[in-house]
This record gives sequence, C-alpha cells and structure tokens, in this order.
Amino acid sequence: MEKKLSGKHWLHGLRAVGVGLLVTVLSSSALGQRTAVTGTVTSAGGSLLRGVTVRLQGSDTTSVTTNGAGRYTIMAPPDGVLLFTLLGQRPAEVQIGGRRTVDVTMQPMAYLEQVVVTAYSEEQRRADITGAVASVNIETVSRMTTASPLQRIDAAVPGVTVEASGSPGSRSTVRIRGISSFQNNDPLYIVDGTPVQDSYVNWLNPNDIASIQVLKDASAASIYGSRASNGVVIIETTKRGAAGPPRATLRVRTGIASPVRGYDDFLILDALEYFEVVKQSYLNAGYPIDSIPRNVYGDPNNPSVPKYIWPNNCNPNPCSTVNEGSYSFPNNLIMPGSKGTNWWDAVFSPAFVGDYNLDVTGGGADNTYAVSFNYFDQGGTAAYNKFNRGSIRINTGFNRGRLTFGENISFAMDRHTGGIPDDPGGFAEGGILGKNILMQPVVPVRDIAGNFASGKAVGLGNQTNPLKFAWGAKDNVTTNNRLFGNVFAGFNVTPNITLRTTLGFNLGQGSFTGFNPIFPENSEPTFTNSINENSSRFTDWTWSNTARMSRQMDRHNVSLLLGQEANHRTNRFLAAGMSNLINTSVNNRFLQDALGDASTKNVTSIGGESALLSFFGKVDYNFSDRYVVSFTLRQDGSSNLGPDNRWGTFPAVGLGWRITQEPFFNDNKVFSDVMLRFGWGVTGNQAIPSGRIVSQFGGSRGDTYYDIGGTNSSVTAGFRETSLGNRNLKWEENRSTNIGVDMQLFQGKIDVVADFYQRETNNLLFDPPIPATAGIAAPPIVNVGKMQNRGIDFSIGHRASSWAVSFNGSHYRNKIVQIDGVQDFFYGPIATRFGNQVINKVGNPIGSFYGLIADGFFSDDADVAAHADQDGAAPGRIKFRDTNGDGRITLEDRTIIGSPHPDFTAGLDFEMRRGDWDLSTTLFGTFGNDIFDVQKEFYVFRNFSTNVRRDLLEKSWTPTNKNAKYPRLDVNDNYSRAISSFYVEDGSYVRLRNIQLGYSVPPKYLRWIPAARVYLQAENLFTLTGYDGLDPALPAANVVGPAGDIRDQYRGIDRGSYPSNRTFSIGIVTNF
Amino acid sequence: MKTVSRHPAVLGSAVAALLAVVIYGCADFLEDAAAPQGTLNEQTLANRVGVEGSLIAAYRALDWNTGVGGAWGNAASNWVWGSVTSDDAYKGSEASDQPPINDVEAYHWSTADVESYLTDKWRGTYEGVVRSNAALRLLKQVVSSKPGEIPAADAAGIEGEALFLRAHYHFEAWRMWGNVPYYREDDTDFRKANMPAAQVAAEILKDLDAAIAKLPTTPRNGNVGRATQWTARAYKGRVQVYDGKYADALTTLRAIRASGPYALEASYDRVWTGFQDFSNGKETIWAFQASANDGETNGNNANYGERLNFPHSGSHFGCCGFHQPSQNLVNFFAVDAQGLPLALTDANWNARNSNLTASTLIPVDPRLDWTVGRDGVPYKDWGKHAPDWIRAPAYGGPYSPKKNAHERASGAESTVGWVPTQLNSVNIHLFRYADLLLMLAEAEVESGTLENARTIVNEIRARAGVRAQGPGNDRATIAVPLNDPSINWATYRIGLYTQPWTNQADARTRVRYERRLELAMEGQRFFDLRRWGIAEQTLNAYLSTERSRRLYLAAAEPFATRHRWYPIPAIQIQLSRVGGEDRLRQNPGW
Repeated sequence: MEKKLSGKHWLHGLRAVGVGLLVTVLSSSALGQRTAVTGTVTSAGGSLLRGVTVRLQGSDTTSVTTNGAGRYTIMAPPDGVLLFTLLGQRPAEVQIGGRRTVDVTMQPMAYLEQVVVTAYSEEQRRADITGAVASVNIETVSRMTTASPLQRIDAAVPGVTVEASGSPGSRSTVRIRGISSFQNNDPLYIVDGTPVQDSYVNWLNPNDIASIQVLKDASAASIYGSRASNGVVIIETTKRGAAGPPRATLRVRTGIASPVRGYDDFLILDALEYFEVVKQSYLNAGYPIDSIPRNVYGDPNNPSVPKYIWPNNCNPNPCSTVNEGSYSFPNNLIMPGSKGTNWWDAVFSPAFVGDYNLDVTGGGADNTYAVSFNYFDQGGTAAYNKFNRGSIRINTGFNRGRLTFGENISFAMDRHTGGIPDDPGGFAEGGILGKNILMQPVVPVRDIAGNFASGKAVGLGNQTNPLKFAWGAKDNVTTNNRLFGNVFAGFNVTPNITLRTTLGFNLGQGSFTGFNPIFPENSEPTFTNSINENSSRFTDWTWSNTARMSRQMDRHNVSLLLGQEANHRTNRFLAAGMSNLINTSVNNRFLQDALGDASTKNVTSIGGESALLSFFGKVDYNFSDRYVVSFTLRQDGSSNLGPDNRWGTFPAVGLGWRITQEPFFNDNKVFSDVMLRFGWGVTGNQAIPSGRIVSQFGGSRGDTYYDIGGTNSSVTAGFRETSLGNRNLKWEENRSTNIGVDMQLFQGKIDVVADFYQRETNNLLFDPPIPATAGIAAPPIVNVGKMQNRGIDFSIGHRASSWAVSFNGSHYRNKIVQIDGVQDFFYGPIATRFGNQVINKVGNPIGSFYGLIADGFFSDDADVAAHADQDGAAPGRIKFRDTNGDGRITLEDRTIIGSPHPDFTAGLDFEMRRGDWDLSTTLFGTFGNDIFDVQKEFYVFRNFSTNVRRDLLEKSWTPTNKNAKYPRLDVNDNYSRAISSFYVEDGSYVRLRNIQLGYSVPPKYLRWIPAARVYLQAENLFTLTGYDGLDPALPAANVVGPAGDIRDQYRGIDRGSYPSNRTFSIGIVTNF
Repeated sequence: MKTVSRHPAVLGSAVAALLAVVIYGCADFLEDAAAPQGTLNEQTLANRVGVEGSLIAAYRALDWNTGVGGAWGNAASNWVWGSVTSDDAYKGSEASDQPPINDVEAYHWSTADVESYLTDKWRGTYEGVVRSNAALRLLKQVVSSKPGEIPAADAAGIEGEALFLRAHYHFEAWRMWGNVPYYREDDTDFRKANMPAAQVAAEILKDLDAAIAKLPTTPRNGNVGRATQWTARAYKGRVQVYDGKYADALTTLRAIRASGPYALEASYDRVWTGFQDFSNGKETIWAFQASANDGETNGNNANYGERLNFPHSGSHFGCCGFHQPSQNLVNFFAVDAQGLPLALTDANWNARNSNLTASTLIPVDPRLDWTVGRDGVPYKDWGKHAPDWIRAPAYGGPYSPKKNAHERASGAESTVGWVPTQLNSVNIHLFRYADLLLMLAEAEVESGTLENARTIVNEIRARAGVRAQGPGNDRATIAVPLNDPSINWATYRIGLYTQPWTNQADARTRVRYERRLELAMEGQRFFDLRRWGIAEQTLNAYLSTERSRRLYLAAAEPFATRHRWYPIPAIQIQLSRVGGEDRLRQNPGW
C-alpha cells in the first residue's frame, strides 16, 4: 500500500521545517515579554466552567482550556486581550491591562448567538436566520493542504459536496443540494462582498479566510437573486486587525504526498505473465498455437522476454541479431525488451507540499489593518507536475466619525507546470493517467540510447510512453494572475440608517505555453513537433450600493435593506500555434516565422461581454426573538437573455418560530432552544454564453474552407451557421422550499440542525439536441427543461469540555421532470469507444448510466441456444438481458444500469484536547453511488492491446471456472465489451480525510519561543471501499458544451483521473 | 472629510445622484453588452461574398470530419460503408482498433458501435444538405434584397451548384438508407417523415434536372472543383442506373459519351495520384478536392477520413493499416492465358489462401498493383512493400490499400497534423469517367446492345494495359509499360474481349467483373452488389470461404434481406419525435 518515500523529498521537508523553526527562534527574541496570567471562569449562576477555551487575541496558537476547577494559566503580554469561548456562553473579551489574575464571568447565550454574514456584508444573528444557512468550521477546513479553499469544505457542511482530483491546483466542483440544471451548476461565491463565479479560487489563500457561510436555500440566497440558483458560498477574509501594535503569525507546513493507490497495485507487472493472457486469448479463440504472433516473445510454446522489441523486421520471429551500431534518432530506434516495466512507478512518485504564511495585523483607535503573505508550493505526484502560488492580501479599514471606508485587496500569481489536466476529458486514454498507464510491461521506459521507448512493435498497442508524455509537457506552464478585491465606503446617516457603496473587482490575466514533441518511438509515430500558446484576460466589476435601516420598538425589531447593483464582465482570449520548430529548446518556443514552419503559424482570438443590473430589498421583522419573518425581493436584468425577457423577479419569504420562547415551553429539561424555520423563494440562473440571442455564423479552414480551384494546396473561404439563436431566452428559475429546525438539547450539550427541502428548476436553460437534418450548428438554447431535487441535510453535534464531535449527513434525490416537452431523454455529452453510457431521461436523475444488463456468462452452447439472439454469443462471453423480450439483444434492450448520485453522504468530525495535546480527525463517507469504470475497456477487454488486471488470467471464465469475474479471454470477442452493467460498480467509500495531532509547546521547554503549536497530520490515510479501480473519489470530467459546463451529465465515470493524495505533513504555528 | 461628515445630507444626495445615473443608464447598460463577440451574423453575410462562401462550405462537406465524433464514417471514399462491407476489403489493422468497423464488416449493424458510425454518416450527409440549402436561401435573399449584387449568370451557376450538391448528398443518404427524408431550402420542419426509397430517387432526379437547367457547361470562374452541367448530367445517369432505370440511363449516358468533355486518363496510374498535374484530368467527373499544407494546422483538408488506410509502422507512412484488401480481391486479379479474368473460366480462382507475394509465375491484371500493396512489389515510389508494413497479418491479412496513397515524388504529403505521412492531397474520386462508362455498359447489356458493352469494356481494359507499376525509383519509373524489363515481381497480362458478346448473362457477368477490377477499393463495390440484387449470394459465398481465412469473420452474421438498407441511427429516429410519435421510421428488419 505504501510507496517508498524518496529521501530527497524528506530532506526538502526537514529543511523547510528547519527554516520555519529558525525563523521562529530568531523572531521570538524580538517579542515583548510575556508573563503568566491565571484566573477562574465562572458562569452567571456562579458555577465553575470547565473546558472554556482561553485565547490570546491575534494568536491562533496561544490557547489553553480551563480545568475542572475553572482555572487557566496562559502566557500573555500585559497589554494583550484574552478571549474566552465556550459553546452556549456568550464569548467574552477581556483586556489584561497588566494584571496577573483575570477572573471572568460568562453570560449564557440565547440560541447560537453567533453572528454570520448573509447578505451584502450584513451581519445577522444566527437566531434571526430563517433560511438554510450553514457555517463552515474554519478550524476543520484549515487542516487540509489543498491549494483551493473550496476543496477543504468537503465533508464539512451537510448538503455540500466537493470533488477534485489529486492534481495540484485542480478544479473543485462544488455542488449544493444536488444538481439543479443540465449545465453550469457551480454556486455563486461572494468573497468579501464581491460576487465571483470561479471554481478554482486558487488565487485565494485559504489561510486568509475568516469565515465561510453556505446559503443553501432560496429564502437565504435570493437576495443574491440572479446566479444564486445553485446556492451561494460567502467567504469573508481575515481577520481584520484589532487595535494594538502589529502582531504577526507565522505558519509553516511541509509534507509529502503520494497517490492513495497506483495502477501497479492491480495491473500485470511481468512481461511473460502478460503474454500468458495474450496466448490464452488466441488459443481460446480457436487459433492454433503456431499462429500466435511471435515477433515479440518468440515461440509461443516457450516464450521469452526478447532482447529487443524493436526493430522487429525479422517478422514473424524476434530478431536474433540487431546491430546496435545502426541506432539513430529518430529514424532508426532500437528498443530492448523489458522483463517487466512498472509504468506507474515510472511516472508517479511522492511529492513535496509546502505552505508558508505570514500575517501581520494591528490598528489604532480608528483604523485596522491586516496584511498577509503566502507562498504555496505543491508538487504533483506525477512526473514534471507542480503548482506554485504567491499571494499578498491587504485589508484595511478606517473610521472617521460616521464614515467608514477601506479596502480588501489580494494579488495572487499562480503557476501550474506540466501537461496533466485537472480532470479527464475526451477519451480515457488521452492523458498520462488514462491508457498511457496501461502500457505493456515488456515495453521499456527508454531505448538503448536512453531516449524514450514505446510499444512500437506489432501487438504492443498504440500507446504513448506516459513518462515521455509528461516529459514533453514539463515546460508547459499555465499562469494565472489575479487582482481581486473591493473598495468600500459606509456612512451612518443616523445610528439606525447606514449607507454603503462597494466597488468590487476581479481582474485576471492568464497564459499557457505548451509544447508537443515528436513521438518517433510510437507505433503510430509522429515526426512533427508543435507549440501552442494562449493568453487571456478578463475584467469583472460589480458596483453595489445599499441602504440599511433598523428600528427597535419595544419587542418589535425591524430592519430594512435596499440596494442596487451593476455587474459588467468582458473577456478576451488569444490562442496561437506553430509546427515544426527548428530548435525545440524552451528558449526557442516562440511564434516567429523563422523559428519553424511559418505556413503552420495560426492565431485565433475570441471574446465575450455581458452585464447584469439588479435592484433588491429585504425586510426582517423579529418579535421578541419568538417570531421571525423576512421578505426579500430582487429584480435582475441580464444581457445574456432576450430583450423582452431580460428582467427576472426573485421573491423569497422566511418564517421562524422559536418555540422555546413560548410560555408553554418554559424550563423544558430536554429542549433548551428550538427554532422552527420555513423558507420559500425563487432564485435565477443565466449562466450561458453571451450573445446566444441571435444566430451566429463562422467557419474555419478545416471545416468550411475548400480547395474549389483544385490546387491541392490552398483553400477558399466558406461559411456556415455555427449556432442557432433564440430571441426568447429568459431566466431559469429555481423555486425552493425549505423546512428546518434548529435545536439545542440538554442545556446546549447537544445541538441539532435538520432541513428538508425541495428545489424545482423551471425554464431550465439548455440546448437539447436537435435532429441532424437541421445541421450541426449548435442547437438553440431554450427554456423548457424541468428538474427537481428533494432532500434532507442534518448535523448533530456534542461538545464536552475536552472533546467534541459532530456528524453531518445529507441525502438528495435528483429527478429530470421535463426535457424539451417532446423527447424524454438525451444522451450524455461524451461516449466511450464503445458507445454512450450516460442518459438523461425523464423520471431519472441526471447522468444516469445506461446500457445492457450483463447477466453473467453463457455457460455452454445450450445456454447460447436457449438465450435470445445475441451478436457473437458464445460460451464464456457476457450474456445480456433481453429486457424488452423481443427475442433479440439490440440497442432497444438498454436500460438504466446505475446512478452516480449517492444515497447518502456523511462527514464526521472529532476533536479532543488533553493538556497541551490535541487530536482531531475528519471522516467522509459516500454511500450508494455507482461508478462506471470505463478503464475496463482496457484493463479487462484489452482494447488496443493494453496492459490488463493481474487477476484476469486466474478469474476469467473457463469451462471449468464458470463462476468467473471476467468473461473468457478471447481475442475475437468484440461483443462482451458492449456498454453494460459489467462496467458498473458500487462507488461507496469511507475515507479518513484528515487526522491531526497537535502539541502546544509549553514555554518552559523552549526558552525563546513564547508560543508555538506544532502538529503532525495525515490526509487520506485510509479508504474503505469495494471499488476495484484506482480511486473511488472521482472528479467530474471536464466537459464543456456550446451552452456551458456540462460536467454534471458525466459524473461518476472513471476514465483515469489523477488519484487523491495521501499526504503526511508537519507544521508549526507561532506568534510574535 | 470633516465637512462631509457634518453634512450627511450632502453625502446622501451624492449617493442618490449616483444611483440615479446608474438607473438612467440601465437600458443601454444591458443592451450594450448583449452583442455576440467575434462572430458573423446574417447581415454580414447577406452579400456576394456570403453567398459564395456558403456554397464553398457545402462543397467541403464532401469529406468531412469536424463537428462529428469520427472522421472514418464520413470519408469521401465511403471505405467503411462501400468497401469493408463488400468482398473487396477487411477492416484491417488489429482487432482492437476501431472495433465499430468490425461490426460493420460482420453485418452486426444494430450494435451501439455501428450506431455511432451510422450517426456520423447521417450527420455528415445531412450537414451537406443543410449547407446546400443555406446557400440557396441566402442566394434568394440577396438576389431579392440587393438586385445586381450578384450577376445573373453567377446567380444561376450558384443555384445550380447548390442544387447539384443537394442532390449528391441525398444520393449518399439514399444509397445508404434508402428510405430517407428529402430536404429543400424552404423546409423548416426538420422532423420530416422518411420517403419511400423510390420516391427519393425521383426527388434527386428532380433536383438534378433543375441543376442541369441552371449550370454552365464549364466550371464557373474556372474552378475545376465546381460542378458543371456535364457533372450534373453524368450524375443523373448514375442515379438512373442505381434506380434500375436502364432505358433512361442509356439515353443520358450515351449522350455524355458522345458529346461530353470526359475521357479516360491515358494510363491507370494517373487516376489515383498525388501529382497535381494529373489531378482533375479528363477522367474526373466529380472529385473531393483534397488540399495539403494549405494553412490548416491539423491537415483536416488532406483526406483526414482516409488517413487510417496506409501501411503500418515499417513503412514510410507509419500507420495504421486499415482497409486491407481481401484475399478474395487479390485472387480476383488473376488472369488466364488471354489476360482475361481467371474467375470467368476457372471455378477455383479463389482457392489460394496464401500471401500472393511478388511472383512472375502467376499472371495478374496490372491493375492489381495499383490497387493492392503486396510484399515484394514496389509500392508506387516508396520501395517494395514488406511484411513489416503490415500491422497484424494474422488478423487483417498481408495486403495494404494503395489507391489513396500518394507518390513520394508528388509532394502531396502533408507536413502537419497527427502523423502527417498519412495525410495527402490525393483527390478522392466521387465519380469518374470509367465508372460512368461501366454504368453505360451495364445499361447497354440490359437493353440488349451487348456489343456496345463489349466496346466499352475493351476501352477500359486497353487503358488498363498501358502502364503497370514500375520500379518506382523516381517519378519517371513509377509507371512503366507492361513489358518493361525492370518488372521482375509480376507478370502483367490484360487481354481484350475479342469474341462478339452474344449472351446477355455472360455479358452482364463480364461487365460486373470489369467493374470490380476497375473500381476495387473505391467504396463502390457494396453498393453495386446491392443494386444488382446479388449482395446476399455473393457476400454469403465470400463469408463461407473467408471465415476460414480471417478467423474473426466466424462471428459474422449472414447477409440477409434486412441488410438491403443500413439501419437509420436510432438516435435520429428518437430525435424525430413529434407529439410522442417518431416521424422517421426504421428500415425493415432493424
């Protein structure tokens, strides 16, 4: 299971930790003196409180808990501020003011009197929220090592799933409460009040995040109206500074990542063992043993690993004499035979992860600031693959009388090196992770001269050496520079009326430089090199203006929010390429006539523009904390939609009843606090490409141009319709109803949140397929689809003095209600080599698996004869079910054979503290989802003569082993591999996402370090699954259609994605 | 700042004013951002350039690989549908590459694999129709809205070309599926029901007649790729023959022979060639104009659809060994002492199951070595074909396709794209004069004028005997006279039918044999067998021997009545649904 860790990577790790410690030691000498502060914490009722967390403000590390006698001791500077927190009690903030003893009395808190940001930087009491809003436990998510903050919220919030591959810097696919549309289901992110739709968010340093709220239902989200139909994730950064001198926090983490599993765990590694499979496949097909190709292994009766696999000009036998002196690159390659190449090991090895952060915060009476620096360095476990990011964030705020103003700005640059896409698209064998891993073991990594080798000889398939593939792309660099933030000003007209204006901006520049080398070593060789390069830029600004009024009269509490917002986006993308470079070194990969074949130089640019304009209002009414009502109305106009249907109206209502405030509930021993919530609302979606109102025309040299003059070397321009427009495009609407309850039981020892919901999407925007007789122009986007999700989310938590546990779970059921009113299905966006395996069918969930039902294997000729007429039926081949009973196995017998949607997902969080030690773990589980393992085309059916599973020889059908796992080995069996339930497996798994052991180093041990916490952690340490493939944690493939991102039509399909990483890391956090 | 904070009303008013400005500008704010970026629209194309360009796009769909999943099912040569399914060729390559074509070859036409290929073909064919109709519509619009924009002669020519192209694409659909819907430029309902096959033929002829009336007799603007009145007339004869209307065909085709601009090339090597000076010669009635190194960076215009059909990695081409000639086809080229097909007189003509390598002992028709790559015989000017040129001999046999390959000296090879050695600018014949002559010969046979048929067949055979494959050391020696002393790999012999033809059945057989020899591997054979009504007997006989030669064919389904037409792609039937009813109906038996 474990891979050997290379010494090099450990050294890296140790060095980084060493540097971190050194920095800490050096800086600590500059700190102000700290002294021990002690005290006792008591409740309002006078009892001693145990398990209270006592923290020094501005420090994540200096924290202790009170003992059974309510006593604590903490090292703190005389001018410091202590924070006291305990669930169920109102947090207390106390100035030390030079004292040595600080005793505190905590006040009980009405139900979750936590403050969360829900709308336009509005801070709302948890108690006033009637919608389904979940707060992410920031401590939990900060334990993960991924580049993107989004990946870290998986398992943390019920009803929210996150998928990502193990590729460094990979995309996160976040889904909130199922899937609401055929396309573009990414939620809206609001970062410091600025909306952004971006599923990488790699530019955001996870360590800068102060809070994450997830608005799951329309009653909460509809204030964000447009674009909110997939839910809203509100991210607030830092940690604005607190008044006082600068305080710095340094966090250093380094670790080693390795894939959770490799193909070498279950593919054949020995060349002769592989040949046995080949041999048996021929013999079973009825070929005489002498007809088995002998160009590689020689006499099939007595096979041997050949000295050379290429050249094999001595057909049909291997060459006995090869003149190595005749070797020349690239035209006369000579490749040795390998006893057994471990292709996985050739490409994958442990990789280093490092994350370095420095924050400085502080402020004066009327200003605060926070500055943070981050450098993140994540190596890919695949060769020549890595991700780096550097970022700076500056948040400042100023008060001047009734005026406040300030800004949040972050600048980030990231670089992604290597040729591995985040997630697979196209055919499974396209990338390093796919079929390239399925190279035969007899093929060596390098030829006799040290150049890359491949399976060039007949019978060795047509793969590309995966290491060569990675090597070729080693200087491919994707860069992404991002300036993101906002400037804001607020004015308190009266104590109850506040005006605020915010200009948010999201400016980006990206680039890619790529290279494709020649592949002379391939069975299908290429001798043409090429480069391609692209550059993109976008501007996205949002200006929002709000007015807020609140009024308290006796027990009536009313607040009103009115606002207006404008958003404008433009983007431009320039791509160019050229072939046949004379010199392919990195320094010469430029698009200039003289550097290559000038006639192949080509360049294309595309762009887009769109705008949104919105007006909104929200009224909240609270009576005596007992009855809560909120009403929201928003109007949005979108330039993407038809001129007559541009405006959409999105209302929502929320009702809350704190039942425990009723007299009849007084002094209930069990229920300390119970709030019933009801929410209903409408949200919108207009995430389609801009400009689809009108029909578009275009063309290209390879599609519409033609050599009408018969020159054989030039073409005349031609045009065709490329996409059909629809002037009636209107808003997609999502109506959601949510019924929830928040409960605290046994004086807050247990808290429970549960929500039941139904979401219905109407006027779903998508492009249903049209008959081919209408041409290949992209079909018009129309508003006819309907989809429904129903589900439940819940969480249960218990916090004791020295430990806490929380469990969350969710379930949803997705159903397509209507497609275009006539068709009742359409196929998924991409097919396997053997056909479509995904269907979107009315009454079934999106992206259902579709195919024949495999009913075991034909046991003998009588069985074949008795069965319905099936192409290629023979004993040992897969028997398909005649579902329509017409006596023939045809495409009509295909049916739904699985669903990628889980029945249930769950997260379990546990943490405990003992003295200076703390331990925490997060488990994630998904149950009842299926995986369609496309890779079986290769490692079971040996399509393209790929490598196969090690158990294939032993577990294939034979007349004496009819209870087999695989069909009979048969080189002529083109039939068993039809798309069927044979490819479908249960994809349930439980994974230990994270386990962390921390130690708060007492000052007495480290003279110069006032406070430090060190920790060791492991991510993805173990996985329990019955799935036979590489990794059941599959990212949705990267599939984009003419109308947008359609990856949700292609989930749970294993086409060789970058496996998750098992990461061991060590970290230190210190303050000074 | 201080001033401002003392006068909240000032700030409030300022904010309100800003809001007002934004709201005032809101209409334009959205409207200004609504225009598509970087695309053409209906207005920008409503002119002469747009009309001509739309017509060019309609031509491009003749061999079309972008926009659909697979290029092979849409290759201009129809090698998948017209050749692999016949006794001419195997799928070739190795078992696991392009398995859908295995199913096509084994007549398992209802599998998901074949469905995907059929869908490609259907989409490609109807895309041609859509583009032809788009050109017609735009032409009408421009002619009526901008009189004088397009000179009348050009307008007529454009209309004629587009009508002709539309007829061609429907012909492709018709010979694949028989019962297909017919779409004209005014159609707006794309879920039309299919027409009975016989009626489709009538519609095609109607369009061809309309085209003939509009088209000039020479290519417009001197562009040799364009259809002319003669192209349309020749095509009309072809459709009549396909439709079994031999009497009509006789009239049409005789007139072309008598007064048309076509003639046979001087020698057979000039028919399929990469030499630009031979392309579009007098034998070309209608060809896909391939172009290489034209600035298209993937080689999409350089016969992308044929690219798999080259010898494999031991050869210059490197890949991929598809469309391998069958043993049956190679045997069929053997001749008797008179140089006539051995199959005419020797019932055992197909007995050989060994690799017919270079040999002077077995006399063959010289066209064999322009059609088939075989060991020891020069492959144009690429050196001698060798065993290691074959990808998997145990699977696909020892032969390579040859017609679509370019000559080294021709310079027709691409320099770009995935494996550029398999991309070239060899024009793909869609209809050539020898094909037309043999159809005329058929019509003569059916009308009883057997001697006319003999004359035609002899004309074809005489041409075939002009030059054979030479040593291929340079351009001059690629083709040499049959008796050239440098030929030491074969004995080439081709004789004429010197005795008068008196028996109609014999004449019919001879014409059919000649057609196979002349047009082998050109994607015609399967359609010929089918329209002659002898597909079932011929192909089942072929399978009965070939099963023991190519083991994978053991799983082939017998050719049966339902194979008369290919099944219409199920997905297209489903997409034709209106109000719960499928407008397209599946062909019988599928």
